[in-house]
Amino acid sequence: MAALTTLALLAVACGGDDTTDDDGTAVPTETDGATTGDDGDATTGADSGNGIVIAIGSEPTSLDPQLRDDGGERAVNDNVYETLIARTPEGELTPGLAAEMPTQVDETTWEFTVREGVTFHNGEPFNAESVAFSVNRIIDPEFNSEQISFFNTITGAEAVDDTTVRITTDGPDPVLPSRMYWMKMVEPVSAEDAGFAENPVGTGPYRFTSWNRGESLQLEANPDYWDGAPAIGSVTYRFVPEAGTRLSGLSAGEFDLMTNLLPEDTERAPNFASVQGLEHPHFILNTMEGVTADPRVRQAINLAVDKEAIANDLFQGFAVVDQCQISSPSWFGFNPDLEAYPYDPERAEELIAEAGAEGETIEIVSESGRWLKDRELTETVAAYLEAVGFTTDVQIFEFDEYLNRLFGDVRPPAIFISHSNELQDADRTASFELEIGGTATSHDDDEIHQWVTDARTETDVDAREELYRNAWQKACDEAFMLFLINNEDIYGLSERLEWEPRVDAKLLVKEMSLAG
Amino acid sequence: MGRFALRRVIHGIVVVFGVTVVVFVVTRLIGDPVRVMLPLEASLEQRAAFAAELGFDRSIPAQFASYLGDIVRFDFGESLWQDRSAMAIVFEHLPRTLILVSASIVLAVVIAVPLGIVASLRPGSILDRVSTTLGLIGLSIPNFWLGAMLILLFSVTFGWFPTSGSGTLKHAVLPVVTFALPAAARLTMMVRSSMIDELNKQYVQMARAKNLPFMRTVGLHAFKNASVPVMTLTGWEYIRALAGFSVVVETVFAYPGLGFLAIQSIRRQDLILLQAIVLTVALMIVVVNVLMDVAYKAVDPRIKLA
Repeated sequence: MAALTTLALLAVACGGDDTTDDDGTAVPTETDGATTGDDGDATTGADSGNGIVIAIGSEPTSLDPQLRDDGGERAVNDNVYETLIARTPEGELTPGLAAEMPTQVDETTWEFTVREGVTFHNGEPFNAESVAFSVNRIIDPEFNSEQISFFNTITGAEAVDDTTVRITTDGPDPVLPSRMYWMKMVEPVSAEDAGFAENPVGTGPYRFTSWNRGESLQLEANPDYWDGAPAIGSVTYRFVPEAGTRLSGLSAGEFDLMTNLLPEDTERAPNFASVQGLEHPHFILNTMEGVTADPRVRQAINLAVDKEAIANDLFQGFAVVDQCQISSPSWFGFNPDLEAYPYDPERAEELIAEAGAEGETIEIVSESGRWLKDRELTETVAAYLEAVGFTTDVQIFEFDEYLNRLFGDVRPPAIFISHSNELQDADRTASFELEIGGTATSHDDDEIHQWVTDARTETDVDAREELYRNAWQKACDEAFMLFLINNEDIYGLSERLEWEPRVDAKLLVKEMSLAG
Repeated sequence: MGRFALRRVIHGIVVVFGVTVVVFVVTRLIGDPVRVMLPLEASLEQRAAFAAELGFDRSIPAQFASYLGDIVRFDFGESLWQDRSAMAIVFEHLPRTLILVSASIVLAVVIAVPLGIVASLRPGSILDRVSTTLGLIGLSIPNFWLGAMLILLFSVTFGWFPTSGSGTLKHAVLPVVTFALPAAARLTMMVRSSMIDELNKQYVQMARAKNLPFMRTVGLHAFKNASVPVMTLTGWEYIRALAGFSVVVETVFAYPGLGFLAIQSIRRQDLILLQAIVLTVALMIVVVNVLMDVAYKAVDPRIKLA
């Protein structure tokens, strides 16, 4: 018994959000397939016809859209709630509940005009007051929102009139429009209700119907939606953690959409769709001490690894090689001029010889099971480094011990990490990996640090973009990281569902339709 | 009998206390729960605030005292994941697992007892060899593989049963079968060998020689004596299912019972909920053990508490 307990608790320490099943969401709906058509099926409430079932990897924590930060919650709430600023499927910012893009009144004040004629699901009007309430609610320290790191520059909001609201920040904040893409607007009266987390009230194209804890959740189309009632009449979310079980349900016709289809399973799914996603697995190199302190060694490491082969073989083509930066083309601050280090083991060997680092041991720290194919990626990289003459010491730890190494006083020469940036604005990545003092920063370059901190308050969009481009240029030249790949998000689809996945990984049911 | 039961209950309480100590030590002393639970990007201030909120900033003895106090009241606090009482969540999921495991064990016994008895009557016969071979196959098949195969065959190919979920009889069929078949295999082997032992004993041979009715001899006397080891194994099958197999089978079928919940709480790094699950399972195992011991005593009064 003691052994069982110990094992279970140890497993906690090792457990993480295994990206293989997600944060995303996939949902199954009751289709007219034979498999789940039994009467009184409590698990799938979608009526046949134009309802769909999405299988997602994890159940929402809470349906209060401002409280927690997890994939299951987002998968559902992205359809129930809306934001002032939205994004196109390609990632471009566009007005959502705001009638137009915001204007800056002064350095620390942004003014939004809200869309007229929008109502919440309970019939209450959406207006500047509800925006001000939503903003002030999420930044209230008493409220203790897990999403606060997205909004920690915001100091308050005030309604000027019925359609105009002003949001103030603690300094110039060019990231504010992106932040408002993340903040969902809640209805003031119902949000004060104790049961709000289980009875969401938004302005979105879908209304909450029911939630069967541990099993499924239903939404129905909002006939009064301001942008026209959506095509899909209802959606059932099923919580199925195992990717294999989701795939079985998809194959059996129980689900119309599943998240996190594995690259090797695409041929077994009735249909699938993929899009360049937000996840960037890479290795942080210690630039301050040890063998990797020499930039020639770090460049050699980048030259020694065949990134194309990793994308094509290990990820079966469902990944693109990073252009020498931890950023995607859809993110603000992406530097399109950079190119990945080519695979050039001979040049790598020359650089190693120049640096006098032949045969040096490179300690590589990683973990296993938290990110897609993390262990395989680590072992592959180690093999490439061995091939150019390094000796490698691969240490794969359970997650807590891995964090010890990541947060420790001395960072290992190479440590695996995967970063994703939901705001799609370089500030989030830069404060994590480029700014001195950032959790994952492993250099002491004052110039990059200055560019990143300047960019945080630079309100001229072009000048700001230039600062990030400079930062990535230098990080690439100096090879601060071993830049690898950007994963694609892969979704399994039923044959009847038509949908193009989005670069921000949102599952917006209003963008889906059924064939025939 | 009363004293026997009481002593078993006291033993059980000691075991449960031991488990609570192990749970506490493992959660507090191995790794830093606060660090594991928060996102990588969380700041030092956020980590400190979170630790204070959960009481992890207090001394270990103080934490242990309040932990024990809470457990005595069966209060494990709020699940970090769902922001509601951890015990309430456990009680939501527990009945589903109990139904699944109980139905599986009943099915296993219903399959194993007649099969084992029939096999034991003529050792070496074709019937015996068939049941032994089936038993061996059943013993060697891992649950997750069996579950996956059943899903492929009966859900994906034939479409007879749903691949996952709960709520109707149809949802329970495949997980119950997945649980029951290996257990039935082990039980069949046990019934067979116990019965062969009994049937070879002198009293049975004598009864047969005297031409006493066959069913009475085999069914009543021999099987009654053979049933103690069978009961032990049945109890252990129940415990195995509760303690570990439910995790595998419920995960494969996305069946929202306690095992499924355990995996979710691990993924969510929800130590509070996991503590509640582990201690609930421990308590049930102890209860099953006590019931088993009392049942032996009822069947065979010669049994003494070790």
